[in-house]
Amino acid sequence: MILDLHSHSIRSDDGRAKVENYCQWIRKRELPLDGFVLTEHRQWDAKSDYRKLEDETGLCILKGSEVETEYGHVLLFGVNDDLVAALDFSRLDLPLHEVVAAADRCGAIAVPCHPGRVTVGMCAHYGTLGPCEGVQVIETLNGGSRGTENEEAIALAEQYGYRGVGGSDAHIVSFIGRCATKFEREIRDIGDLVSELRGDAYEAVSFKE
Amino acid sequence: MDIDVNQLKEDWCGRQFDEVQIPVAAKEIVEFAQACGETAARFTDPSDPDFQAPPSYTSRFHGGRAMPKDFPIQSHQGFDAGKCVHVNGPLRAGDTVTARSEIHDIYTKTGRSGNMLFIVHRMTFTNQNEEPISVVDWRLVQNQVSRKSKREAGQS
Repeated sequence: MILDLHSHSIRSDDGRAKVENYCQWIRKRELPLDGFVLTEHRQWDAKSDYRKLEDETGLCILKGSEVETEYGHVLLFGVNDDLVAALDFSRLDLPLHEVVAAADRCGAIAVPCHPGRVTVGMCAHYGTLGPCEGVQVIETLNGGSRGTENEEAIALAEQYGYRGVGGSDAHIVSFIGRCATKFEREIRDIGDLVSELRGDAYEAVSFKE
Repeated sequence: MDIDVNQLKEDWCGRQFDEVQIPVAAKEIVEFAQACGETAARFTDPSDPDFQAPPSYTSRFHGGRAMPKDFPIQSHQGFDAGKCVHVNGPLRAGDTVTARSEIHDIYTKTGRSGNMLFIVHRMTFTNQNEEPISVVDWRLVQNQVSRKSKREAGQS
């Protein structure tokens, strides 16, 4: 099963894609995706319900978040009321170790994303802040990465023994599915996703042309 | 960040600071549509029974002032981060639109270039019957790191 773990809809301030249009694009272009996760910036979108769209398109549409820490941006999967109460999602300077610990405590998982990106990726900060305890998974393939940013992320994962996932970081329709994560087992809901991410039966895949 | 965003929001968001009336002429609609590469007759041919302005037409307008009087950040202190147009109804030749301006939102985020401050300037357009035409959100972005660095280096 292949899921794009990192995407943004118009609910993010810089997102220009409607969720319906992502679905149409995936089906029309026959992309090898079984679904995607919406990870809106600095917020938890509790309201949106995509079950009808899932039924209509046969795609798995899950929700997460992308928050900002002193190490850069971090994807959160398995966001629930407890985690929303524990973290101020709107902050730009959340302490990464607190995000990781809170996610773990609340049954979620934190995944630093685009680690190779300057300023908002963790590679650059490891030199000055040192490694962050508790990190298990990072985004090694990001569809919006430039130059050698993904290579740097892969090197970081190899150095620290992190598992790697992939996501497009799509903000516009045509970017969905550029990178994704291939899971050995089926994922039906966010609980399945968190459970699988805690294991190791998956790999990051790239479909960038 | 050296700006208290929450205070800035509390002080300035949601308060109308400008209002202008703008007549809409067929010739200008056609010129705008052609400049955008539109080919549909309803946007390019005034004799079309459904002749109207293209959806993004109101994004061309600006008010009497870009930012409220005494607002601590003026438009020349940042750069354009794009416009988003939400269309509510058709704009026709001969209409007179009223454009009301407010600061809709102020927020921060981090990106490759560091901390950024975004100001969302909203213009709400209605026609002469007070029917909603469109809402245009224009984002102004200011790179906080570069401003601070310049200040610390003694530059303006």
